[in-house]
Formats: sequence, C-alpha cells, structure tokens
Amino acid sequence: MSSSHLSHDEFFTKLGELFEANRQAGKGSIFLTQKRLNYDTPSLASTPTTTPDDPLRDLHPESPLPVIIRASNGKWKDEKASKIKLSTIVQPDALEGFYIRYADVCKGGMQALKKRDRSKRKRDKAKKKKGSGAADGDKKG
Amino acid sequence: MPFLPTSQQWLEQSSLLLKARPSTTKITTRYTVEDSKSTGSKRKRRTADASGTDTDAPAAPKAVLILKTFDPASGVCLKYQTQKAQEVGRLVGALGRLSRNMAALPETAEEPMLDAPTAEQGTGTSTPIPEPAAKDGRTAADPKAGQGAGGGGGGKKKKKGKK
Repeated sequence: MSSSHLSHDEFFTKLGELFEANRQAGKGSIFLTQKRLNYDTPSLASTPTTTPDDPLRDLHPESPLPVIIRASNGKWKDEKASKIKLSTIVQPDALEGFYIRYADVCKGGMQALKKRDRSKRKRDKAKKKKGSGAADGDKKG
Repeated sequence: MPFLPTSQQWLEQSSLLLKARPSTTKITTRYTVEDSKSTGSKRKRRTADASGTDTDAPAAPKAVLILKTFDPASGVCLKYQTQKAQEVGRLVGALGRLSRNMAALPETAEEPMLDAPTAEQGTGTSTPIPEPAAKDGRTAADPKAGQGAGGGGGGKKKKKGKK
C-alpha cells in the first residue's frame, strides 16, 4: 500500500494531468480527499488510536501525525478500468509548503469555474449576439 | 445535511468537528464539470434538427466545487458549495488550515506561529482539566468532553445545533 504513494512532485504532476484530462473531456469530476494518516506508521503501531483505557487518545497524540491526500477521477462501477487514483503523504512539517503548491495546482486545474470578470463580459457578448441574429449566430456558434 | 451558507462557517464548523474527531473525519473536495454540451445538443436536435450542427461552443461548461467534511463515526457532514473560481485559492487555504487540525498541529492564527510545534498540545493533554462548573448534575459525557479540551466540546454542541 505504502509503495503506491507518490512523492509530492509526482503527485502534483499527475494531479495536473488529471485536471487537464478533465478539461479536455469537458465533463467529469475530480475528487480530492484529505485525512489524518493514523495507521501504517511505525510510531503508532503499538499505540492504536483508541484504547479501552483512553477512548479519546486520538485527540492528543504524542506527536503530530501525517496527512494523506488522495486524488481520483471518480470513475468507478462501470468505468472502473479508467479509474485513476493518486495518493501522497504529507508530513506535518511539510504541510504549509504542500498546500501552497496544492492551491496553485487547483487554481490552474479548476478552469471551468466561473471567473469574476470574464463571465460578465461573456454574458454581455452573448446578449449582443442574440440581439443581432439568433438563428444565424447559433449556426456559426 | 444542507450546505453551509459561507465558506467561513464551513471552515469553523469543520475545524470544530476535526478537533472532536481528528482521526475519523475526512474532507472531500469534489470538482465537477457538468456535461453541458450534451444537454445543449439534445435541445438543439429537438429544435433545429435539420441544421445538424453540434455547435454549442458558447455554452461554457458548468463547474462546481463542493467541499465536504464527513465523520463516519458520528455521521456529521458539513458541506459548502461554490462555482466561483476566485474562491479556489482561499478554499485550499482553508483545507491547509484544517490539515493542521488533522495533523494535530497547533492552529495557526493570522500570523503563523512557526516556533511552537507541539507545545500547546502537550500541555493540554497532561494537565487534568479542572471542572469547577460541571457540578450541576451533568451527564457522564461531560468529563469526556472536558478531556478533549474546550474545542471538542464546543464542536459537539454546535453540531447538535446544526442538525
């Protein structure tokens, strides 16, 4: 399992590709998840997250824990063959730097969201087009 | 669970949930581009079938970004939805702040506190919580909430309010 985790560089590269594929397809979803990594770490092997003595042990771990970031293109069931899954582990001290890059990749990748200025301009243009000639404008489109 | 009205509320509620349930809570960010072309062409075929053109390019793809914080242990689900590109940077920043909750790092204020990695957590855990006000015949759940520091207890209360 742990061998499949990518380095941060690889993760961002592949995530960028995932966004690019999504943009080209013009549809589809990308799922990004983040969760505390509370297993598979040697330091915690002997100390499970909850014990009968201390059911709230996970609220105060001895040391900061890594976070696992996953990305997927959301293809399952029928399209499982084309599913892409990425994951990477971010150590606590690397979180800040990771999220700065993460924000850049997401901003670059989520291009289909509404932009502040462009959407207004587009709307105006669309109105003008419709105003000038509806049927012809559509054909040229 | 309905969507929260502002990203700030989502961040606050998620932070409280993560403080209460740090190891089971998962945050999912879903970015979905709807297939606006296909629906558009269908409409076209109905209206102007003779032309046979599939040119609906001006219709920009609709995309939506949904943030979901879910804790399977308690069933709490907090969601926020946006369609604005300008929010992406801020929302990923929020994810970064929440990741500090996940990693059990102390929260950063507006100015990041770089030189205090685990000090707060350490003191919080080892000191027995004094409970002067909890003697009013409260339930047995109170000591637990107290143990998990004030944030955890507050999170639970707020969650109930939201349901």
